[in-house]
Amino acid sequence: MKHITPMNRKAKAVEQAADGGGVDEVYTMSSIVTGCTATVDPGWEIDPFGSVAALCAPMEADLYGCSDPCWWPAQVPDTMNTYPDWNADAPSAQNDWRELGAVFPKK
Amino acid sequence: MTMYRKTLLAAAAGLALVGLAGGEASAKEYLLTAAKPNKVVLIDPAARAVEKVVEIPGPGVAPWTVIPSPDAKVAYVLTAHNEAVVGVDLDTGKEVFRTDMNEPENVRSKIMPAVELSRDGKELFVFVSPMKELPGEYQVMDTRVKVFSTADGVGAKPVREFEVPRRIALFFMSADDQTLWGLGWDLYGIDPKTGAIKETHKIVNGPKPDRAPADILDFWPQYEQADVFSTPYYTFDTTKQADDPTAYKTGMLTLDLKSGEFVMDEFEDTSAVIFSSVVNPVRRNEVFSTYTQLSKIDTATDTLVKRVDLPHTYYSINISGDGEEVYVAGTMCDIGIYSTADLSEKGRVEIPGCPDQGVASLRVIER
Repeated sequence: MKHITPMNRKAKAVEQAADGGGVDEVYTMSSIVTGCTATVDPGWEIDPFGSVAALCAPMEADLYGCSDPCWWPAQVPDTMNTYPDWNADAPSAQNDWRELGAVFPKK
Repeated sequence: MTMYRKTLLAAAAGLALVGLAGGEASAKEYLLTAAKPNKVVLIDPAARAVEKVVEIPGPGVAPWTVIPSPDAKVAYVLTAHNEAVVGVDLDTGKEVFRTDMNEPENVRSKIMPAVELSRDGKELFVFVSPMKELPGEYQVMDTRVKVFSTADGVGAKPVREFEVPRRIALFFMSADDQTLWGLGWDLYGIDPKTGAIKETHKIVNGPKPDRAPADILDFWPQYEQADVFSTPYYTFDTTKQADDPTAYKTGMLTLDLKSGEFVMDEFEDTSAVIFSSVVNPVRRNEVFSTYTQLSKIDTATDTLVKRVDLPHTYYSINISGDGEEVYVAGTMCDIGIYSTADLSEKGRVEIPGCPDQGVASLRVIER
């Protein structure tokens, strides 16, 4: 992690866990996150086989399957807690994606 | 003729008699799923058509876990951003049960997302993850099961509560109502009356020799046809190098809800991502699984029989009572129907308006 510097307490804790061998306690897809904790998941970039065939196909099919359970709260709005109505007017991701706006932190 | 088929015939004859006595048609299979925004969808798979769409009252966008009542009249659905379970009458569309996770003293609770009914339909079990909002921090509290009496209807309060391990994503009740199975990092056999853990099948915490802890991602309750829960799991042969493709193994975990038999066996070097699976109630060695591909697995020989590409990703899967058709659902607005014999496509049903199902469960009911 020499190119990454922790900026807050949680990030420092992650770094300390990695230094102390705590990464062995992290499993990539074990069960489901409890709440909107960041999941250790490679995301949409690449599948376990180094390809893309086993990813969301197409992305629109899985967009709500990932955002509703708060699977990737960093990548898509968290509809469980912070932006509950983000997709309320867009019941079909493939047809209504134009209704999905960007979100911004509440002041 | 096997004893199982004799039992099936006897059951069918019994249903026919009940139908005649009551002047009703004999029971027929339907698929039950949910879709945005806050809808329950009843599908007639034989007609390849949606029978009915029922609105879930109250707030919520994305319904998740769906639990049918034993008489198939009520669908209990996790909704309201994981803060309520609502029971909807499938005939009248009326709300007949509701519990909201309203908590005192700045406590917020989410249902994540295990929900189950007792086999008699009288008690509802909900896995709750609470958190206290303090002025400067969120305080994580112990996870617990809240038990409700379904007879308490709208506004139901827990009749009892007990603590359980964290990260339980699925509940399934044993056929005798004596064990509430909870799938988390391990599979816990919980006493539904006291919350005591009677037995534990180790998954993450008990790897087999030369294997990394098994990894499971599954929150789709779909065991009702065979009375066997199944889920794929992933592991790694620790005697091999990380860049060896044969080091990565996919297995099938099965738990017989009648006998309690628990099996975890590998069937292939990992070559596909699988989200969930279902056991054939007729040829019980056949297991079908879904995500980007539909797979047929033989658990008698622990082999992959066949795998075909699906039009898009599907999360949930279920099967007809005669073991002839397998249904894939979740994600988008269609339900695919495939032959269990050769995995060929037999039909497709689209929900009107094409709303996404997302992570909603797919259940089979008889009514």
